[in-house]
Amino acid sequence: MSALAAPAPASTPGGSPPPGDVQPKPTANSRRRIILGLTGFWLVGLIFFIGVLGFGSHKALDVRNGTFTPTNEFKLDTWFSVGPVNFNKGVLYVILAAVITLWLMIYAARRLKQRPGRLQAAIEMFYGMTSGMARENLDTTLSRKYFPLIATLFIFILVSNLIGYIPLPVNTLDKFSLFGARLPSFQIYAADTNLAFPLILSLLVFFLFSWERLKAHHGPIGFLKSLLPSGIEGPIKPMIFVIEVLSYFLRLISLTVRLWANLLAGHMLIAFMGGELGVLVGSAWVQWLLFPAGIIIYLFEAVLIAALQAFIFAILTAIYLGDAVASH
Amino acid sequence: MAPAAAHIPVAAASGSFLILPNIGLMVWVLVIFGIVMYVLSRSVFPQINAMLDRRAQMISNEIDSAESLRKEAQEVLDEYRQRLAEARTQADEIVTRARQAGEAHQKEAVESARAERERLLQQTRRDVEAETRRAIDEIRREVADLTVLATEKVTRKTLTDADQRRLVEEALSDLDFSVLGGGEG
Repeated sequence: MSALAAPAPASTPGGSPPPGDVQPKPTANSRRRIILGLTGFWLVGLIFFIGVLGFGSHKALDVRNGTFTPTNEFKLDTWFSVGPVNFNKGVLYVILAAVITLWLMIYAARRLKQRPGRLQAAIEMFYGMTSGMARENLDTTLSRKYFPLIATLFIFILVSNLIGYIPLPVNTLDKFSLFGARLPSFQIYAADTNLAFPLILSLLVFFLFSWERLKAHHGPIGFLKSLLPSGIEGPIKPMIFVIEVLSYFLRLISLTVRLWANLLAGHMLIAFMGGELGVLVGSAWVQWLLFPAGIIIYLFEAVLIAALQAFIFAILTAIYLGDAVASH
Repeated sequence: MAPAAAHIPVAAASGSFLILPNIGLMVWVLVIFGIVMYVLSRSVFPQINAMLDRRAQMISNEIDSAESLRKEAQEVLDEYRQRLAEARTQADEIVTRARQAGEAHQKEAVESARAERERLLQQTRRDVEAETRRAIDEIRREVADLTVLATEKVTRKTLTDADQRRLVEEALSDLDFSVLGGGEG
């Protein structure tokens, strides 16, 4: 009791913390210094490029003759074919996503402990979140049935998105020379920037929630009736029905386009701000000017959009499945 | 910027692939996604679920155990308090009893001391009386002898025993020994 009731040691006259206390990091000053230094470096670089090269345009030959187009990097160049099966960078990214997802999950699953480490905590958080999505939107039976789909959609799309922010030498359409060898250019690419990736997953989800709706409402008539919200009477009924049918099919489009457009636009913005616009207009100073914006967009996309889009896709799947069996 | 941007080549024709899904990739995605989902649902999710169940069970057991321990501790504490109260009562009783015994003993000792003092006083008194009586007898004897001696010297004759006794008795009767006996002889 005496120890508990003992008064706290008086602070030292000089105001310095007592020994044993964690020293506050001098973050504010050093951060400000770093920001000022980087801003200064950026300004000096800008002045240098304008001073040396001027405002004039110095386009590369490939740009001038139209060989280089910024959208080319999203083109799926077939690398090789095995019978009717084509292999391109989209396929590589899907395989990479699958391998990384499986390796990560199996690695974590084999090392599960009662006291989780960081990876296990993250995996458990993912598991808890996706099982929560399933439980909150579906009944117990459907939740058990569709949890693997929802969880796999989330982790698979997340990994696909994240590896899309790692520059890899996959741009076989724009090669560069290194000691005489023509090598594919480095680029950031994600499989979801091709419409095929989100479309097939959306079609899968659309098919599944339509099938559940068909089962839950005992056939096509019940299916169509279920699209109409309850309490709608009178001449407005057919109009609402048409809107609801449209809205139902638009789920497929919205689910697809949301993921695809976000990723494609994100990647294009990063590429443009990261230097591509400067290449197109033939001005080094434009590249230098926009480069910080490229970094900021890159961080925004990699940190927020990648996880957010995976989350949205997974939760919308759960909501649509839940809505399919809910009675209006 | 504006004049420079005007030089950007418009790849409208070549950009159509952006909005056209690659059918081959769709098949790849469907197959690979199916494999990933199958593997995860067979060998990963059950393990994570089992582990979370085990942990939930462990936490539940720990809570039960903690509750049981708490109850046990409460019982021990109650028992301890009860015993402490009993011990206090007993201690109070012992102290009271000891105090009573002490007081009784003290009283007894005082009584005993008083009796002893009385006894010693009586004894002393008896001794003094005896000594006094003995001293008086001694003095009487001395006086008698002196009286006889003095009488012999005066009368120039030897007194018989009967005379001597008579004379002594006469002389002694004149003497007051009561002073020597402290008022008692």
